[in-house]
Amino acid sequence: MAAASGTHTNPGVEHRALLAESVAHFVARATDIARVRRLRGSPAEHDRAAWTKMAGLGWLGILVPERYGGLGLGLTEMAIVAGGLARGLVPEPLNAAGVLATTALVAGDNEALKREQLPRMVAGTVLPALAWQERAATLDAGAIACRAGPFEGGFRLNGAKRFVAGAAQADAFLVSANTPSGVAIFWLPRGAAGVELALEPLADGRSFGTLTLRDALAPAAQVVASGAAAAEALALALDRAAAIASAELHGVMSRALEMSLEYLRTRVQFARPIGSFQALQHRAVDLHIQKELASAVLEDALAALDREPAPAARAALASRVKSRCSDAALRITRETIQLHGAIGFTDEYDAGLYLKRALVLAAWLGGGAAHRRRYAALEGVNRES
Amino acid sequence: MTDWNAMSDEAFRREMRAFIEAEYPRELRYILRRARWDEMKGWWGKLYGKGWIAPNWPRAEGGMGLDAGKMVIYLEEMERYGVARSPDQGITQVGPILMQFGTEAQKRHYLPRTLSGECIWCQGYSEPNAGSDLASLQTAAVPEGDHFVVNGQKIWTTLAHDATHIYLLARTDRQAKKQQGISFLLADLKTPGITIRPIRNIAGHEEFCEVFFDRVRVPRENLVGKLNEGWTVAKALLSFERLNIGSPRRPQYALRRLEMLARAKGLLDDPGFVDRFIALKLDLEDLASLYGRFVGRAKRGEPLGEDVSMLKIWAMETWQQLTELLIEAGAEEGVIAGVREIAGVETDFLSPFYYARPATIYGGSSEIQRNILAKYVLKLPS
Repeated sequence: MAAASGTHTNPGVEHRALLAESVAHFVARATDIARVRRLRGSPAEHDRAAWTKMAGLGWLGILVPERYGGLGLGLTEMAIVAGGLARGLVPEPLNAAGVLATTALVAGDNEALKREQLPRMVAGTVLPALAWQERAATLDAGAIACRAGPFEGGFRLNGAKRFVAGAAQADAFLVSANTPSGVAIFWLPRGAAGVELALEPLADGRSFGTLTLRDALAPAAQVVASGAAAAEALALALDRAAAIASAELHGVMSRALEMSLEYLRTRVQFARPIGSFQALQHRAVDLHIQKELASAVLEDALAALDREPAPAARAALASRVKSRCSDAALRITRETIQLHGAIGFTDEYDAGLYLKRALVLAAWLGGGAAHRRRYAALEGVNRES
Repeated sequence: MTDWNAMSDEAFRREMRAFIEAEYPRELRYILRRARWDEMKGWWGKLYGKGWIAPNWPRAEGGMGLDAGKMVIYLEEMERYGVARSPDQGITQVGPILMQFGTEAQKRHYLPRTLSGECIWCQGYSEPNAGSDLASLQTAAVPEGDHFVVNGQKIWTTLAHDATHIYLLARTDRQAKKQQGISFLLADLKTPGITIRPIRNIAGHEEFCEVFFDRVRVPRENLVGKLNEGWTVAKALLSFERLNIGSPRRPQYALRRLEMLARAKGLLDDPGFVDRFIALKLDLEDLASLYGRFVGRAKRGEPLGEDVSMLKIWAMETWQQLTELLIEAGAEEGVIAGVREIAGVETDFLSPFYYARPATIYGGSSEIQRNILAKYVLKLPS
């Protein structure tokens, strides 16, 4: 799917310019912070009409090959969209559904299921979520306790999944579990017998889903992937989603830094704009350097990931970019509050929304320290794995 | 004359590598201080003989005329082998300045002599009361017949005691405001009235000097550019210098040394150490990405812009942190002076630390770079 961006340079550049334009247009016209505030903490969390609009723009199919109705583009293109939407704190779960869950299905080995579900996902009528994680602080998609025992030609699943992003309105869950012959991913429709969903509220007004499986049944036709293909599909999905989360963090930090700089230029104290004080100037410069580092790593990492490197190199790239973007976004959004003073600490002002989004995006799919540990292991620096 | 730019990157890299490995003195690899002229003149002669002493100069002037891409390879290969920096201000500064601002006579006289190493240049910018605030410099050059009479003092003049000539900024108009009354002059260091006194730095090396000017007569034809426009002349080269100084290669060497030692001492089993080490390693990898962006701009012939200052800040501060962690990793052994064998690795803890210290001071301190970014890039008010 990434070949498109690698082999056709000019169409790639064109796609990118068009994408950036349509994202900017969407953020300016189809959404605003009032909508974000309205939806935060609500049971819906996001707006299906907006999701359909995003589908209409082709964004849900960016990572889906053309033969399944997608655009067959790469992470570079997806990052333009996700990063641009993150600037406006757009609450629709593009990454959770359009990257994480979509990649798991695309990389799976169930051709019939792909032909059935991918066009629906691209059209926005089926909204998927990937339930891979069971405990906090792991990046290992193979750390699975959920069991899937053979049952009447299919499987019967038991166990629990946590931290499922984009679960609130998900229509189907892609769930990883261990079968007697290794890991597999199962397609479980929302509300199926034995599939229970609970939501844990998050700092940013969204939620993580907890999925409890009690003898949930999955016929053989609902096996998304099994064996080595399943393990690789999960690892690929996590790395790609971590890279796109990095692009989202970059969008969040960029907007927050703009807010801070604007404030420094206009807020007057001691009869001077506070941005004329050297102490604040130097802090602003340090934040700018973090943002530029994040942006440079992101650009390099996306381009490298779109060349489809081997799994270890891919994981190292994802860790590198997620580590920098998580820490940079946290630092910039925290400092945005500080640079604004008391007004920054009010709920009415938007600075807090950016900080909270950064908190969640940084923690999701592994924070800075977790990714540095994985990077160290991949680089052979320490012996931890 | 070879057109190096027409060569493939790989072929050029191979040829450079082979030459450097064959000709550069092994005992001068990775020395953690500025090399002196006596040590470097043999290597200078080798480079000069091959026509490789001035990669940045046009071929018509005896340089290699490298484009930005080949220039990066040139610097990479030098640094990869640990080639020390020669007293090269004539090549990096004086040559390009003369080509842009010099008279025909100045070019004809100085360019070939600068290439051959007959003229070795030092930079007379800073003064005791004009450091970061360089434009407040007070060294005066007063026209008197066909000479300027120069009085004043320069300081932090790197390797002045190895140089034959100095290029300096001097005030030629006391009434004009700051930057406007400054001129750019060339002076022979043998001129009567010039006294050079080396200053010992905290590493124990005499790398920089004070240069005193007491009624020094500098011929008027040694004025470069127009009278009172020396500031423009001096500023012309700053952004490329910041790109070069912001290269990740020097800190990468520090990182390799640190990793070698950490491995030998078993520090990689200490999660606390590994956390800090890997954070610095990533700081450096991310610097390489940022550096790559600026190199890309240079290769496309785009102006570098004021934001290149961020490279210098990040490269130098990361480098310093690496040398700090090296000392800390050494614990008690880290403060023993000189080279020691630690767990089978020849290690000098203190020299890298000292060597990195002034990096956030010279070439525009980190604070000055932050001022520049705040003003020109972030557009913050003054």
